[in-house]
Amino acid sequence: MKLFAALLSHYRRHPLQLLALAAMMVVASALWTGVSHLTSQARASLGQSERAVAERAQVERVDGMPVTVADFVALRRAGHCVMPWLEVERPASTGRVVGIDPLAAACFGQPAESYRGWDQPLNGESFLDIREAKNLAAAGDGARATLSLLLSGPPGQPALPEAYRRAPFSLGPDTGELGESFLLNLDALGVLVLLITALLLRSVHQLGLAQRRDSFALLHRFGVPEPAVRRALVIEIVLLAAVCVVPGVALGRLLAGGLGSGFGQALESLFDVPLFAGQGSSWLTPVLTMMAVVLAVCLADQLHFSGRQVIRRLAGQGYRVTLLTLVAGLALAFVSSSLALTFVAIALVFAGAGVLAPGLISELARRCGRASAAPLTRWQCAEIGVLARRLALPLVALQFALAMVLAVQALVTVFEATFDDWLSQRLAADYFIEVPAGADSLAAADWLETQSPLAGSGRWHRVVRGRAILPAVDGWPGQTVDLFALGPVSNMLGTWRLQAAIDAPWEAFSRGQGIMVNEQLARRRQLSVGDSLTLALAGERWTAPVLAVYPDYGRPAGEVLIHAAQLPAGFRPDGESFAISPDTADLDAVTSGLKRVWQTETLSLRDNGRIRALADSVFEQTFLLTRSMTVLTLILAAMALLIMGWVFFTTRVWYYRLLAVWGMGPREVAGQLVRLSVTLTMSIAVLALPLGIWLTWALVHRVNPQAFGWSLPMAVYPEFWFELAGLSLIIGLSIAALMRRQLRQPAAMPVSASGLSGGER
Amino acid sequence: MQDELLRVRGLAKHFDSGTERVPVLSDIDLTLGGGGSLALMGRSGSGKSTLLNLLCGLEQPDAGVISVCGELFNGRQPRNGRGDSRRWADLRCRHIGVVFQEANLMPAMSLLDNVRLRAGLAGQDPDDCSAWLERLEIGELAGRYPDQVSGGQRQRAALAMVFAMQPALVLADEPTGSLDRHTADDVADELFRLQAKTGCALILATHDAELAARCEQRLDLAHTAPA
Repeated sequence: MKLFAALLSHYRRHPLQLLALAAMMVVASALWTGVSHLTSQARASLGQSERAVAERAQVERVDGMPVTVADFVALRRAGHCVMPWLEVERPASTGRVVGIDPLAAACFGQPAESYRGWDQPLNGESFLDIREAKNLAAAGDGARATLSLLLSGPPGQPALPEAYRRAPFSLGPDTGELGESFLLNLDALGVLVLLITALLLRSVHQLGLAQRRDSFALLHRFGVPEPAVRRALVIEIVLLAAVCVVPGVALGRLLAGGLGSGFGQALESLFDVPLFAGQGSSWLTPVLTMMAVVLAVCLADQLHFSGRQVIRRLAGQGYRVTLLTLVAGLALAFVSSSLALTFVAIALVFAGAGVLAPGLISELARRCGRASAAPLTRWQCAEIGVLARRLALPLVALQFALAMVLAVQALVTVFEATFDDWLSQRLAADYFIEVPAGADSLAAADWLETQSPLAGSGRWHRVVRGRAILPAVDGWPGQTVDLFALGPVSNMLGTWRLQAAIDAPWEAFSRGQGIMVNEQLARRRQLSVGDSLTLALAGERWTAPVLAVYPDYGRPAGEVLIHAAQLPAGFRPDGESFAISPDTADLDAVTSGLKRVWQTETLSLRDNGRIRALADSVFEQTFLLTRSMTVLTLILAAMALLIMGWVFFTTRVWYYRLLAVWGMGPREVAGQLVRLSVTLTMSIAVLALPLGIWLTWALVHRVNPQAFGWSLPMAVYPEFWFELAGLSLIIGLSIAALMRRQLRQPAAMPVSASGLSGGER
Repeated sequence: MQDELLRVRGLAKHFDSGTERVPVLSDIDLTLGGGGSLALMGRSGSGKSTLLNLLCGLEQPDAGVISVCGELFNGRQPRNGRGDSRRWADLRCRHIGVVFQEANLMPAMSLLDNVRLRAGLAGQDPDDCSAWLERLEIGELAGRYPDQVSGGQRQRAALAMVFAMQPALVLADEPTGSLDRHTADDVADELFRLQAKTGCALILATHDAELAARCEQRLDLAHTAPA
């Protein structure tokens, strides 16, 4: 106990060190918990939304008439769990609301064990009691109401009466692939954050130990055995971790809750399913993980394991091993064919870059110093070298954080741009009108072309969806691809961005002179513009030249686009729709005309503008979330460097006071501090740049294709570099400002010259 | 003794310890001519280091007047902070050399680079610095770092730094306090030899009566300490 009291007495004399270590544990725990909690939340929410979209169903009348309250009554009397869903479209300023009947929803609340799609309460902001929704619709301010009957239970159970059929009920676009990719990158971010927090914790702890070296030596001279000191240190760190990790985890959950609620609300709006922030991982996992990390990084030196000698031998090889690690990582990333190997490669590159960075700064400073004849420049260079060596761990953490921010910013921007292009392509038209089952789409097309308000406008086209077979030819195996038949070629198609194309591709397409393929198919079959592709459609083989390759924005399936007129008579489509952009034309006149042609009372009309707005809001929120987490990581790394700089400077302030004793004015000494700290942080930012660009490349070109079979376009954004340079400048200036405060206090002379050793050269 | 280099009248200084006001120096008068030497005696805490700090402007007096190297500083008048600070910095840069008991050298630089740095700041030719290390018999250690040489060698290097700037006044705060007797005597010999050779004034704070006896004047702070 006396030994423990003697050890702790150090912190009584240096409370700042204890505070730094405790703060680092709390903040590191909070940050990692926040990221992991958000990732699990996002995963749960996206999974939930996908399930909801996939599993929701509605009841349709077989005669094509819209469902009514009488149908609801009939179905409920027949024992089916249906719920009225009154969707009221109001003018843009007031938006859309959904009226539901809580009583009817009761049967959704007790789903079968195997069916979990509806087990969430419906309390989203846009939901009203159905009576209020009906009143809004009846208010006559331009609101349009549509009644649907939502059906509970898995397909086929129980069978509906003959007059009805089951139909999918989906209002949102399928964002699954982009979402999965986003989650994978969030996972990678979580691992990096864990690595950075581990580095920061170790750096603060190591500095604390270095400060206590004299105390340990004194205890040893007093006859205290080394193992006893080691044991006391283990107890000390376990106690400290126990006290700090739990509040850190709580803070992280709070942080995740704050950031994640917006994300959950955005998903609610998109998928009409309440998704709650705050659900997800338990307390135990983050607490145990952070305890393990704290103990591992702080007590790594105390462990005696067989590999330690090997590591020491390798460490003795110094920069040769590090360089080899870096080169091996870079090479492995190029050749790796599996995700696991790519992650190993990323780890090797980070390890190599992390060890090399402080050494490189130090070596460059040494060379600059030698090359200069000016004594003050030589001192500055020597001091930069000392700072780089003594603050190596927090500097590396800052380098990793900067690289990560750079990569994530580039990735998120690419995601945003890709998502925007994807939506522009998929939702080029203002509305989609589904062709009802059994209806004649050709008759509708004829009406649109000749008699409708859209006649001759070029603002509509027909879309036929189906499958085509690419027969095995020239060594390529047979393959089934998605087929989209379009016609006539509308103005909306002209807005598509094509990756490669002949001159005037859409004109040739409209004349039926060829086909277009998506990026995935072109890559897999090594197709270029001008190559011929043979398709088997409805049993007939048909060969046509490739007129253009269009981007698929993450869709992994192969696609072929042909003119609708080329479809053989026996082709059986999976579905048909019309894409229309009425512009100034009367939409109601178009829809009522189609109803007449198809002799139906209802049309499935999808407002792409609304879907786009909803989808945008979801992704804006997720991107904001990612950016927030990376910026928080950067702030943590900067804070760690500040704390470390502060603590380290307490041991060095005497030497800056010497400059004042030697005649430098306070401003000049402060100027020296600014030069040193800014040079240090800017150097690390410069070294983080190639690492960040490489990480972007690795995520875009290696991780994504290996995980999902498709690749985003790679882009770098120099404006981010300048932003990060600005940020590094601010961090450097903050460190200098903090150190300058210490200069105002009388500096204590170092106790002994031996206290100076370590990292001085 | 040459013309008056330093004149101090009515110098006083106190420190605050929590709510308590602790007087350290009170009504100090002293005069020192160019080339002269003065020993500051007194037990630990008597204010020797504080007086040296006041005499080179590292601390500000509560009261009193200091005239040094032709510059007048009046502690009783409202502080002309920046102006005084600049003038003191200029004096320390070119005319007043300070030697502490330890840690006079930048640890990340060789002995020679340390001397060059100090001489360079004082506007002296850094190329002459090797000669100063030679004069102090540590020329062969010029490329070594402070933690690679003994305490005595470090103090010799510190003296080389001070004299390389060709000061008018050297303030030495127990410069041999951390050395063994033999080494301390050697370092003290060098200090007095170089002081005599360069003609600068010396104020030496020390516990060592023998060392103090080598100075022309003595000021025992035990006798001037405030009650």
